[in-house]
Amino acid sequence: MKNTDQRLTRKDLWKILRNQMFIRSALNFERQQCIGFTQAMGPIIEKYYDTPEEKTQAMERHMELFLTQPMVSAIPVGVAAAMEERLATEGDVDPSAISAVKTALMGPLAALGDSLINGTARPILAGIACGLALQGSILGPLLFLVGMSIITLGVRYFGVFKGYEKGVTLVADLQRSGLISKITELAAVAAFVIIGGFTPGVVSLNTSLAYTAGDTVISLQQTLDGLLPGILPVGLTLLMFYLVSKKKVSPIVLMLALMAAGVAGTYLGIF
Amino acid sequence: MLLKAILVGLWVTWAIIDEQTLQLQTTRPIITGVVVGLIMGDLQTGLVVGATVEMMFLAVVFVGTAIPPDPTLAAAIATAFAVFAGGNTELAVATAIPIALIGQTITTLQYGVVNVALLHWADKSVAKGELKGVRRANYVALAFNLLFYGLPTFLAVYFGAEFVEPIIAMIPEQIISGLAVGGGMIGAVGFGLLLSTIKVKKLWPYFIVGYIAAAFLGINMLGIGLIAVAAVSLHQIFTSGKNTAEAA
Repeated sequence: MKNTDQRLTRKDLWKILRNQMFIRSALNFERQQCIGFTQAMGPIIEKYYDTPEEKTQAMERHMELFLTQPMVSAIPVGVAAAMEERLATEGDVDPSAISAVKTALMGPLAALGDSLINGTARPILAGIACGLALQGSILGPLLFLVGMSIITLGVRYFGVFKGYEKGVTLVADLQRSGLISKITELAAVAAFVIIGGFTPGVVSLNTSLAYTAGDTVISLQQTLDGLLPGILPVGLTLLMFYLVSKKKVSPIVLMLALMAAGVAGTYLGIF
Repeated sequence: MLLKAILVGLWVTWAIIDEQTLQLQTTRPIITGVVVGLIMGDLQTGLVVGATVEMMFLAVVFVGTAIPPDPTLAAAIATAFAVFAGGNTELAVATAIPIALIGQTITTLQYGVVNVALLHWADKSVAKGELKGVRRANYVALAFNLLFYGLPTFLAVYFGAEFVEPIIAMIPEQIISGLAVGGGMIGAVGFGLLLSTIKVKKLWPYFIVGYIAAAFLGINMLGIGLIAVAAVSLHQIFTSGKNTAEAA
């Protein structure tokens, strides 16, 4: 052991933040993001541990299975940094508690990161960018890139620095205040509005079926547009939702089935 | 064509490395399509194909350890093919899904075989107390992307230039446009997936709010985004339980 009288400096935390970027570089099916997490803890291990035996022991703690959304993984990285520092300087932390805290954070944070960032923020920005791109403007894609860069780098900065500062109390706070369930509910509101609002424009499904009575041709599509515009893409989306969630059909199978349906429908004159 | 194919291959390699490190989202079709369009000298086709493929994958969020179809390879190769076909974006949509599934297979191989081998390599360094072996495993994993994604992209673009047109000439027009129709419907799978991940089911009415705004009122996606912000804020106000005091 060395430097046991020193706390982590801001410079150390920046180093941890840089190394956190590699959290999922060697993602593997055996222990997921463990190599990345160990690299993120590297600056701490180098600061406090001297002999190869000590380093092995510290690294093995983090070579256990770890998996969460890569951006928000910065939060457990920050919290683990605070606990590792305490273990090295004061020695009053049970090493197994570090693993326990990481494991406790994994699930809720993955759900939060997936639904807020991948499921809400990214589709909103990407949808707006697509609208502008289809009008021939490069501005949309640029805004998307800038917006997402701020989110991914901002979340990681917040995670490492706040996670370190608040340490384990952050975990307790999150659980006690019901903040996670509140955020989950608000994210669901946004997701429902976005899915309902984006589906008619993003999913394209039109029928060319028509009913001929004497001289008048009644187009099914025009009739539908008059009654419930966008009902075909929205109906298709709800059908996909039903098949995915209730019938447990694989999304890949559904994608292939839709491609086949497109070809078959074109031959039959439905589309 | 050699230079363009190399540049597209390098861009895809970078985009995948970005996805595995910073996640600035250059891997998304809306960025990769535009960049490949620029490299191929046809920005307009890049914008259209990028946006079209992006919409196919917009809401495809696989939770946990499942590997989704790869949108980056799909967008890059589809954009290059669309440029070869003289700006034919229908063809791009038709090719995107098969390419994305090839990408998915490559990713599964990468996470399941190569990165597992690198994990055991890193374990040996951990046993010796050498931190640098852990870092090395990450960097080698990133370098493999050149072989896994960069090389196939390069080959597809380099040899595609010659074969895309004769192959399209061979395929009946109805199949190409049928595949494009199917591609237009793919987005529904993503939105269906996203709906299935939402835990709070009682909030379905907000779906109707979004649907009416877009389909009946014709509000564009930026407007829908603003309505989402308003809905979240109002939901917070009306459910926080603090609004009754002032009202009395």
